[in-house]
Amino acid sequence: MSASASAAHDTGHQLEQNKFWIFVQIAMLLAVITGLELVTVYMPFVRWLLFSVLVVLSTVKFLFVIFYFMHLRWDRLFCTILFFIGLVLAGGTMWALLKLFGANASKPLTMAMMEPPAAARRAV
Amino acid sequence: MSSNAAAGTIDHHFDPTTTTGIPNKKLLMWAFLASDCMFFGCLISTHLIYRLHPPPGTPQARQVFSIELTSFSTFILLMSSLMMALAVNAIQKGNLKNMRWSLLTTIFFGCIFLGCQVYEFRNFVYESHLTITNSILGTTFFTLTGTHGLHVLIGVIWLSGMLLYSFTGRLTEKQAIDVESMGLYWHFVDIVWIVIFTAVYLLEYI
Repeated sequence: MSASASAAHDTGHQLEQNKFWIFVQIAMLLAVITGLELVTVYMPFVRWLLFSVLVVLSTVKFLFVIFYFMHLRWDRLFCTILFFIGLVLAGGTMWALLKLFGANASKPLTMAMMEPPAAARRAV
Repeated sequence: MSSNAAAGTIDHHFDPTTTTGIPNKKLLMWAFLASDCMFFGCLISTHLIYRLHPPPGTPQARQVFSIELTSFSTFILLMSSLMMALAVNAIQKGNLKNMRWSLLTTIFFGCIFLGCQVYEFRNFVYESHLTITNSILGTTFFTLTGTHGLHVLIGVIWLSGMLLYSFTGRLTEKQAIDVESMGLYWHFVDIVWIVIFTAVYLLEYI
């Protein structure tokens, strides 16, 4: 085995050894982030700020899991692209649905809204 | 000659026999997970839409939910993900004994999560009188979290099957891809819960 091949193998072996500690550290970090999320909802700040903080924290957790626990960091780029195609399509669908049905016109009708106004009823 | 070939070890991130360099089983799993993202995306959107415009008479989710229990479930699922990652790491090194212990712990955590979910559902139905049919909140909530729970149950069955299979002596470092594919599925269940925990539970409290 050449010196360079031996060095590459040593580095690879070291990475495998280090992975154990990387996983443990990430799990601890994820637990801390979950605790932070829990504390955040009780903070007396404006709603949009709390919403943004929660979205950022859950995105960080999401990315740590997919890139480290799911090995995307060490796998071929194609795996990342393939998964992100699904993720972008899902995110886009969610965004479109929330925009469509979030509009005032999409509020569900109540009985009071469906009844004609009093003046119209008197005319009949 | 590559360093791995020279050392006689297996490169678990590269398969020279496929055109993409990715093992076919792994590619299949990633494609499935991408499609499952869209499935859960639709379920989560449906729940959020009805939370944006709750019909009259919808129960207050904040009074129904137990954030302490859900946080505990989230922590348990995160720890199960750690154990799954360690199981994959162990089999990739050919350490069957460590893999078995890690798989067993993952199954244990998965069962705790399912137990918490059953307890939560039971409380909602009998204490808060929230069922799948009596309100739109119940319908979307039980459909979403129930589907996720079903994924966890399938994962637990798969993990148990793999644990039993490991005792046949046919599971070696060469078959690490089978454990890795199962691991991808389990981690996916975890990331879906990360989103559900924020979108369905925590957002109700702000």
